[in-house]
Amino acid sequence: MEKNNRFPENQEDESQLLAKDIKEKYFWAVELRYLIAAVSLIPFILSFYSSAFSGVNVKLISLVLGYNLFAHFLYLFRKKYSLWQMILIRSIFQFLDILAITFLIYITGWTDSPYWFLYLVLIVISGFGMFSYYSISVLLIAFFCVLFYLGVFLLAYNHVLPVYRPDFNISPTEFLSLLLNKAIFAVVSFFLFAAAIYYFSKLLGEQRKALSGKNRELLMALEEMKDVDQMKDEFVSTASHELRTPLSIIRENISLIKDGVVGSIEGKQKELLTTSIENVDRLSKIIDNLLDISRIDSRSLELNCKPADISEIAGRAVEILTKKAADKDIHFNLRLAENAIALIDPDQILRVFINLIDNAVKYTPRDGKVWVIVEDGPNFIKSYVCDNGPGIAKENLSKVFARFMRFQSPDKAFISGTGLGLSICKGIVEMHKGSIIVESEIGAGTRFIFTLPKGVKNG
Amino acid sequence: MDKRKRILIIEDEKAMVEAVRLRLEANGYEVLTSGDGEEGLIKARAEKPDLIILDVMLPTMDGFKVCRMLKFDDQYNEIPIVMFTARTQESDLAEGKEVGVNAYVKKPFKSEELLKVISDLLP
Repeated sequence: MEKNNRFPENQEDESQLLAKDIKEKYFWAVELRYLIAAVSLIPFILSFYSSAFSGVNVKLISLVLGYNLFAHFLYLFRKKYSLWQMILIRSIFQFLDILAITFLIYITGWTDSPYWFLYLVLIVISGFGMFSYYSISVLLIAFFCVLFYLGVFLLAYNHVLPVYRPDFNISPTEFLSLLLNKAIFAVVSFFLFAAAIYYFSKLLGEQRKALSGKNRELLMALEEMKDVDQMKDEFVSTASHELRTPLSIIRENISLIKDGVVGSIEGKQKELLTTSIENVDRLSKIIDNLLDISRIDSRSLELNCKPADISEIAGRAVEILTKKAADKDIHFNLRLAENAIALIDPDQILRVFINLIDNAVKYTPRDGKVWVIVEDGPNFIKSYVCDNGPGIAKENLSKVFARFMRFQSPDKAFISGTGLGLSICKGIVEMHKGSIIVESEIGAGTRFIFTLPKGVKNG
Repeated sequence: MDKRKRILIIEDEKAMVEAVRLRLEANGYEVLTSGDGEEGLIKARAEKPDLIILDVMLPTMDGFKVCRMLKFDDQYNEIPIVMFTARTQESDLAEGKEVGVNAYVKKPFKSEELLKVISDLLP
C-alpha cells in the first residue's frame, strides 16, 4: 500500500533523525566547547599585559581557542552536514581535543600531571555526543588517550620533546617500571570508564531506537485513522446528497396529494399527510446537521467572514423565534450592546443564536423568561442566552455538547430536534476561534455563554 | 387571458420531474421536460421556454455547462434559470453565480418556495 511509503524503513534516514534528536537533547555537551574557548580567552588576553601569562601556556591556549572557534564556525552550518560528515568532523575535533589535553599534561608536570582526568571528561562528553549507533567510538577515544598519554612519556624520554621537569633523570629500568605503571593505570582507568560509558550510551541508543520504532507505528496508526476519518466525511457528504433527491420527491408527492392537486382528500387524510411532510422536513434537517457536523469535523465548513454587528444578528434570531416563544408565553429580555462589530460569518452566528434561543424556548416551561445579552469588550464580544427553566443536572452538564444528546423537557413532552444543534454551535464558535460554555443548576435555569474574538480571520 | 408561461424542466429523476410537473401545471404553467443535459439544451434552443429548471447532476452534460451554453448565447441569455441543487457550500454556489444562474432551490424544497422563486423571475 502506498501509505507505507510515508515512513521510509531506510536506516540512513532513521540515523539522521536520531542524530538530530541527539543534537537537540545533548546540545550542552557539544557546546561545552564554547565555554572552554571563552575561559581560554581570558589568559590569552592577559598575556599581552603581563609576563606571568606569557610562555607555552598561552600557546596551548591559542591552540585550544583557535580550533574551538573553528569548531564554532563549522557548527553554525551543522544542518547542512550528512551523518557521515558529522561523524568525520566530530572525530577530527575529538582527536584535536586529545592532542590539546596531552599537550596540557606535557607542559604541566608531565606524566604526573593531574590533568589526565580531562581524558575522562572527554570520554564522557564523547559518549553523550556521539550517535548511539557509533558509541563504540568511545572505546576508540580511550585507546587514543592511552596512546597519547604514553606517547608523550616515550617522546620525552627519547629527547624528541624537551622535558618540562628539571629533575628528570632516571635509568632505563626505572623508566620501564614507570612506563608499565602508567600504562596499567591509563589502560585500566580509561578503558573501564569508556566501557561503562559505551554500555550506557548503547543502552540509551537501543531505548531510543525502540521508542522511535513505536513512534513510527503510532504515526502510521494516526495516518490511517485520518484516512478513515476522511472516508467517513466523504461518505456522510455523499450519502446526504444522495438522500436529498428521493426526499424531495417524497415531500413533493405528499404535498401534491395534501394540496388536492391530484384529487380531493378529506380532513383526517390531510392531517396525516401534514404530519408526514413535517417529518420529511425533520429528516432533511437531520441530514443538513449531519453534513454540517461532518464539515466541521473535517474543517471544510467554509466561513464567509465579514464585519457584522452581533447585536443585530441576535436581534434577528429573537425576531425569528418570537412566534414560537409567544405560543408558550415565554418573554424575551434583551440587552444588546450597540455596535458589537466583529469579523464573523453572519449566517453561521445567526444559526448559533437561533439554536441556543430555540433550545431555551423549548426547555423552558410556559410563562418562562429567556434573556439574550450581547456585551461588547475590547477584544471579544460576549453573548449570553439564559433561561429560567429547570436547569441541567451537574452530571449531565458535560454531555450538553455531545452529539445526539437530548434531554427531556420540563413537562415531559416530546421535543423534536436532532440532538446535533449544540454540537454544531460549538463547532461554529470554535471555528471562529471563540469559545462556548454552559452554566446551569437544577432549578436555577441554564446559561450559555459564547465569546467571539473581534478580529478573527477566516479559519 | 394571456398565454400560459412555459417552463422547461431538465432533470434526470423521472419521479422528480413528474412531481414538479404536476405542481407547476396545477399552478397554471405549461411544462416541458427533458431527462438529460444535451437533449435539454436542444429542447431549450428549439422551444425557447419562459423559464428553465435545471438539475446540477445530469447525464451527458452537467447543469452548469447547460447553463453556460445558454447564458453565453445572445439568443437565449434572457431565459431565467433556476437550479436544483443538493449542495449548498459557498464554493458550489460560486460556480453557479459565475455561469449566470438566476436562483437556487435547495433539495428537498418546499413547493411554495419553488413557486415563489418562479413567479419572482417571470414578468
